[in-house]
Amino acid sequence: MIFDYLLDTFIYIGIYAILAISLNLEAGYTRLMNFGKVAFFAIGAYTSTLLSIAGVPFIIGLIAGIILSALLGLLVALPTLRLRADYLAIVTLASGEILRLVFLNEQWLTEGPMGIRGIPQPMYTVFMDNYMIFYALLVYGLLLICYIFAEKIIDSPFGRTLKAIRDDEDAVQVFGKNTFDFKIKVFIIGSCMASISGTLFAHYLAFISPDMFFPSVTFSVWTMMVIGGTSNNFGVIMGAVMIQVFERGTRFLKDFVELPVEPYNLRIIAIGLLLILFILYKPEGIIKERKSKGRL
Amino acid sequence: MILQVQDVEKSFGGIKALDGVSLSVGENTIAGLIGPNGSGKTTLINVISGFLRQDKGRICFEGKDISSLLPFEIARLGMCRTFQLTRIFRGLTVLENMLVSSNMQNEGLCQLFFNRKKMIMQEKADELAAGEILEFLEIDHLKYEYANALSGGQQKLLSLGMALMADPGMVLLDEPVAGVNPTLANKIFEKVMLEKEKRTFLVVEHNIDILMDFCDMIYVMNKGKIVASGTPGEIQDNETVIDIYLGG
Repeated sequence: MIFDYLLDTFIYIGIYAILAISLNLEAGYTRLMNFGKVAFFAIGAYTSTLLSIAGVPFIIGLIAGIILSALLGLLVALPTLRLRADYLAIVTLASGEILRLVFLNEQWLTEGPMGIRGIPQPMYTVFMDNYMIFYALLVYGLLLICYIFAEKIIDSPFGRTLKAIRDDEDAVQVFGKNTFDFKIKVFIIGSCMASISGTLFAHYLAFISPDMFFPSVTFSVWTMMVIGGTSNNFGVIMGAVMIQVFERGTRFLKDFVELPVEPYNLRIIAIGLLLILFILYKPEGIIKERKSKGRL
Repeated sequence: MILQVQDVEKSFGGIKALDGVSLSVGENTIAGLIGPNGSGKTTLINVISGFLRQDKGRICFEGKDISSLLPFEIARLGMCRTFQLTRIFRGLTVLENMLVSSNMQNEGLCQLFFNRKKMIMQEKADELAAGEILEFLEIDHLKYEYANALSGGQQKLLSLGMALMADPGMVLLDEPVAGVNPTLANKIFEKVMLEKEKRTFLVVEHNIDILMDFCDMIYVMNKGKIVASGTPGEIQDNETVIDIYLGG
C-alpha cells in the first residue's frame, strides 16, 4: 500500500520532470516566456487518448501527439516569437486557456466536462500484476531520453547560440544568425516534449477531463524550474521532486500535526512564499547552471 | 568603394536624427566618424547595420543594395558591428563568445544528430581560429572565464575579437574605446591597424585625437548632417570642425 503510494508519487515526478525539462529549454536557456505549457501537455493527453480509444496502439498515439504539438507550437510561435517577452507570455497563456475551452465545449469529441474514462493502458495485459512498476519504467525511460536529448542540445553549437540569445538577442544577429529561426525550433522541441508528458499522464490516470488542464499546471512547472535551478536540466528534475513531494506531503501533514487550518490548503501559500524567497535570495535555484562541457 | 550611403534620412517623431547623410568608405581603409553627442553617429550605424530602417535614401555594401535587409542578412553578406555599450554574452565563457560569433553557421540540428563528424571538425577549426584571435588581442589567458568576470577593457577587447571572429569584409565599430584608459585605447587601435589589410573599418568615436592618428578618412557629423570630410590633416584645419568642437 505504502509502496504503491510511493510508486505513484515517483511516476508523477517523472511526468512533471519531462514537462520541467521542456520548459527549461524554452524559458531557462532561451528566455522564451512560455506560460502556455499546459496547452501542449493537453494536446499530448487528448490526442493519444482519442486515438487509443479508437484502437490505435499507444506508440502511434504518442507520436501523433508529438506531431500535433509541433504543429500547434509552430502555429503559436509564428506570430508571437517576434513579440517582446511579456506579450509572448500573455499569448501563450491565452492559447492554453483557449485549448482547454475547446476541449470543454467540443462534447462530440471529448465528452466535455465529463471527461474521458477507461483510457487503454499500454501493455496492461502483459504486466497486469506489476503494472505500476512497468509504467514507472516507461515514464523514466522516456524521461531519460528527454534528458539526454536536452543535454545534447545544450552542449551543441545550437544550444550555445540559444544561451547567447538569452543574454542578448540583437547581438546574436550581428553574427549572421536568424534568431527567430532558433526560437521557433526550440519552441517546437519544447512543445513536443510536453506532449510526451501529457500522453504519459493520460494513460497513467486512464481518465482525463478539461479541468486537469488549468493554467495552474503551467505555474506549477514554472515553480519547479525556478526552485530547482533555471538552466540546469538536472536541477529542474530536482525541482519536480521537491514540488511533488511537498504537494503530496501536505496532504498527510494533518494526520501528524495540529494546525488551525488544513495544511493542504496552505500549500499554495507556502509554495508562493518559497518562490518569492528563491527569486529574492537564490535566483539561480538549488542547482545552478553548469559550464558547457566544452567539446560535445 | 565598399560602403556607400546615399542621402539617408531618419526621423524620430519630430526630430531629424539623420538629415540627408551621404558617405562612402573605400576598401581596406579605416574611416572615422566623429561628432558631438546627439549628432546622429550611432543612428547612422544602426541604419547601416539594419537595426533601424531609414525613411529615405539608399545603402550599398559591396555594390549590393542592403537598404531593406534585416540585421542578420546584412551580417551574412560580411558586415559586422559592435555596440557602444559593450554587448557580449555574459552567461557564456570567453571562448564560447568567440564560437558563437563564428560565421560558419555550424548550429544545424540535423547536423547535430546525423552528421556529428562534420560538426566536430568545424568546432575544432573554429576553436583554433578563436584561440589565434584571442592571442592576437592578448586575452587568451581568459579563454575559460565567464565573460561577465572580465573588466570593462577586456570586454571591449573581447567584443572586437568577436567581430574579427566573424571574419567580415567590413566592421562597424561604435565607440570601441569609450571608457577605456588611453594606453589600452591606443592598443585597441593598433590592433585595428594590423587588421586593415584584411578588412575595412568604420569607427565611430567621440574622442577626435585618437582618430587623427589612425584613420585614412574622417567624416564629421553635426545635427544629423555630414558637415566636413577629408583626411585627418584636412579635418584638423577645417573651420567648421573647430567651431563645433571648440566654439559650440
